[in-house]
Amino acid sequence: MDMNLNVDLMINSLPLLIAGAGITIQITAISVGLGLIIGMFVGIARISNVKLLRWLAAIYIDFLRGTPLLVQIFLIYFALPVLLGQRVDPFIAAITACGINSGAYIAEIFRAGIQAIDEGQMEAGRSLGMTWVQTMRYIIVPQAFKNIVPPLGNEFIALLKDSSLVSVIGFEELTRRGQLIIARTYGSLEIWITVAIIYLIMTLTISRLVAYLEKRLDTK
Amino acid sequence: MIDIKNLHKSFGDHEVLKGIDLHINPQEVVVIIGPSGSGKSTLLRCMNLLEEPTSGSVVVDGIDLTGDSDINKAREEIGMVFQRFNLFPHMTVLQNITLAPIKVRNMAKDEAEKIARELLERVGLADKADAYPPQLSGGQQQRVAIARALAMRPKVMLFDEPTSALDPEMVNEVLDVMKSLANEGMTMAVVTHEMGFAREVGDRLLFVDGGNIIEQGPPKEVFENPKEERTKLFLSKVL
Repeated sequence: MDMNLNVDLMINSLPLLIAGAGITIQITAISVGLGLIIGMFVGIARISNVKLLRWLAAIYIDFLRGTPLLVQIFLIYFALPVLLGQRVDPFIAAITACGINSGAYIAEIFRAGIQAIDEGQMEAGRSLGMTWVQTMRYIIVPQAFKNIVPPLGNEFIALLKDSSLVSVIGFEELTRRGQLIIARTYGSLEIWITVAIIYLIMTLTISRLVAYLEKRLDTK
Repeated sequence: MIDIKNLHKSFGDHEVLKGIDLHINPQEVVVIIGPSGSGKSTLLRCMNLLEEPTSGSVVVDGIDLTGDSDINKAREEIGMVFQRFNLFPHMTVLQNITLAPIKVRNMAKDEAEKIARELLERVGLADKADAYPPQLSGGQQQRVAIARALAMRPKVMLFDEPTSALDPEMVNEVLDVMKSLANEGMTMAVVTHEMGFAREVGDRLLFVDGGNIIEQGPPKEVFENPKEERTKLFLSKVL
């Protein structure tokens, strides 16, 4: 067994891989941003007084958490164009699939974060003549945000890793870049190790950042 | 000011209020006492529809809360003070007080802050405007909560056991604020265990048990000469 690592190959491939990591972070950030907006509305709809909204939110969450992200990516990239009669850009397909998927998880995070707020807060807001929406906006959601920072950080990390799935539609993020370099150099061992290390550095950095943010929010 | 007719409230199979009739006049201070589980808090919470009556009518300042009226509009006129203060912990004291006047009454920020500072002065907390609620003692928090309710210039104030969550040495600072409010002619409904307050400040005392008003009258009379057996039994335990 040849255990010699071609270190030069690892170093030489770094610029391409790091650029790929940048794209991974980019689609993750955009997707989580999209997921945050979707998740906030779906999460609030999930606990609203309107039965139809609750029902629609439940369907959304169940469908997206109950089917594989890979299948969702295929649905948007391969199945949707059949309906639209038009090709979907891989980047758009990637952030749409990841954003919609993460929206479902973030909706549950929001729901839990809101339900953790003391009922008396809603009662106090309503007693002052504020509407349900005003109370949510000024009182409940700002406090819920504090509660959801840690699980949101975990969601960001999960999605950062899951975003490697969009390599299957040829979108050139970190994993896809690795595959392309291996196709050229046959350096499976070196490249996958390097790719894994880059993912690890990213996830560890983010979890530290989240822990720091959590601490700062806590002391306020 | 408050007119309640044949008010029933059930939670599932459990009937908490069994047909309450109550009329509260402008400037009247009505103190509601009774054992825990008697329905006294539920009765109070029906007065601003935090609890939805199962049947019967609740009319406050001419607005029928149990009809088609805009409940938010009605609540602007009904201040509520809770046992556990329910201040907004992510906002300063000043923001707690100005939020509703700005968002609901569309008051200018400057004006809302001016009123808030006057109210803080009045409850003896002028120096706490920029503090956050968790930095205050229970008594201070409850005085801020009263100021927050008053900032809406309500016509009625509801107090739901306002001193029950307080350490004994803080009870009086809150009761004093309530007393001065009563002296200024605020219409008040107060659920409390503070019998001294009831006797001193109340215009009328209501004894509630088992979802009914068992007895009512001037506090002194009820305390000294209760007519109903259940009132006697309750008073013998708390006095």
